[in-house]
Amino acid sequence: MLLLLQVLANGALLGGLYALMALGLALVWGVLNIVNLAHGAFIMLGAYVCYYLFTLAHMDPFAALPVAMLLLFCLGYALQRGVLNLIIRAPMFNTLLITFGFEVVITFLAQIVFSADFRAINPDYAGANVTLTGVTVPLVRLAAFAVALGLTAALSLLLNRTRVGRAIRACAQDLVAARLHGVEPRHIYALTFGLGAALAGAAGGLYGIVSQINPYIGGALTAKSFAICIIGGLENPFGVVVGGLFLGIVESLTSVYVGATYADVASFGILVLVLIVRPTGLLGRTT
Amino acid sequence: MKRLAAWGAAAVAAMALALVPCIGSPTLVQFGISTLLLATLAQAWNIIGGFAGYASFGNSVFYGLGSYGTAIAMLRMGWPFGVGLALGAALAVVFAVAIGMPVLRLRGHYFAIATLALAEVMIAIVSNLDIAGRNIGLVLPLLRGDTMFYELSLGLLVLTTLTVLWLSGSRLGFGLIAIRESEDAAAVVGVNTTAYKVCAFALAAFFSALAGGIHAYWITFIDPASAFDISLNVKMIIMAVFGGPGSILGPVIGALLLASISELLATEVSTAASLFFGFIIVIAVVFMPRGLADVARRLPQLRWRYFGDNVRTHRL
Repeated sequence: MLLLLQVLANGALLGGLYALMALGLALVWGVLNIVNLAHGAFIMLGAYVCYYLFTLAHMDPFAALPVAMLLLFCLGYALQRGVLNLIIRAPMFNTLLITFGFEVVITFLAQIVFSADFRAINPDYAGANVTLTGVTVPLVRLAAFAVALGLTAALSLLLNRTRVGRAIRACAQDLVAARLHGVEPRHIYALTFGLGAALAGAAGGLYGIVSQINPYIGGALTAKSFAICIIGGLENPFGVVVGGLFLGIVESLTSVYVGATYADVASFGILVLVLIVRPTGLLGRTT
Repeated sequence: MKRLAAWGAAAVAAMALALVPCIGSPTLVQFGISTLLLATLAQAWNIIGGFAGYASFGNSVFYGLGSYGTAIAMLRMGWPFGVGLALGAALAVVFAVAIGMPVLRLRGHYFAIATLALAEVMIAIVSNLDIAGRNIGLVLPLLRGDTMFYELSLGLLVLTTLTVLWLSGSRLGFGLIAIRESEDAAAVVGVNTTAYKVCAFALAAFFSALAGGIHAYWITFIDPASAFDISLNVKMIIMAVFGGPGSILGPVIGALLLASISELLATEVSTAASLFFGFIIVIAVVFMPRGLADVARRLPQLRWRYFGDNVRTHRL
């Protein structure tokens, strides 16, 4: 029983981080209809920004998160404004291909600049944990979980309560109508892609704190983020949180009770099942 | 007339390619085998991706099933290579039909991701199967015969291309194009969309599996991560889209051209090869989004305006 509780706690904490990883992908996918295959590479870049701020500038890794978000926002804004806006009306293959091209270039440059070694962000308090009714909770993971939920709530507020958020949602619903009401889509699209990249940057920083990083982690993280978006649906940031928690818990249950090599079978098998039974996601609206 | 000339040129090119092992160096022949197999994969992807418009990331699963089917037949049953190939292909076709029924109901990105997930699942399942050597993989008997493998790969590519040629003029092909342009409209005019899509999926599976089987015996070693490699699937898509999805010769030319470029880059500027490759993809998508086939059709008329035109039609 205690083992089960511990496994559930681990899974939920991991799931919060997963949710933040997928959040940026879901935002970009839902609004721009681009599945960004470079999303995992953005996460990787965010992790390295935090890593270098921590090792070279001795910043606290959690304090380095806003810097990573800002840098990734600029990168995302520039990529959408300069390149992706040029092909936004091309067929779906083309947007998949071009973001794959970004992924190749970013991963290659990262490997040159950062080297292929494994790195980890290890602050002094990395080993600290609390024990609640027998369940051990590492504080760093708990903090990462809290940051992930906080950013999700912030995104939800931004989308629902601000002028910019309304413009983003308007572009997602009807581009022509949004234009008629004075929304400048080139800017809004770039802003949305930038926000997606910033969220990836934050997720990367947290990932670097709880796990190890190298330049090649991007692809697997993109695939995982996909799975979460599908399970949670794209309409609502909190759906993505549910998807992330679900996947985190399923993965830790399978690795303990079935075997670590089956963790991916479980998560992707569930993904296929969800797609077949409910193509709009577990929480998505049926059309 | 023009069409006839194009096919004459293609036939001459195929014959010239068949002579490469007689005159080329061993390295060239080896490069040729892997490139011809890649071109076959791109052409097979063209059937489901280019004609039916379904962005499949599951073709590497068919390739992997072909590799493992061949390897298991040869190692565990002691059957000859040809029977192994047939077993691998049959396995892939059965899988394509069984999985195609539910998965082909999904559209757009959802189909792409469901097939992507299938590839992940297959890696994990095969890594846990005793008969498939778990995650260590299988070692096939060594056969020194690059010329044989080369001619086999070329034959497979020609067969696949001829099938696509037949498809482009057949009822099935027109049905698939109708599905690509508008699936609902196709269903309304009486196309049995499910049957057509499953057919296209099974055809793609058949040729991909044969390529996988040939590759497995040639390279003599397979393991789950390389046999079901998703980046191989991404390569097929890039090559087919670069050449022109839905055209007959486009995917083949795209594959030969891109493989040569990346091989040249790898020898000339080894460290930066993937960087250039990434840039080529980005530039090609922006300036020639419908592939080489479309460039060949419209560039002579439009000249340099062609590239500007593409950007103007697709930008925000």
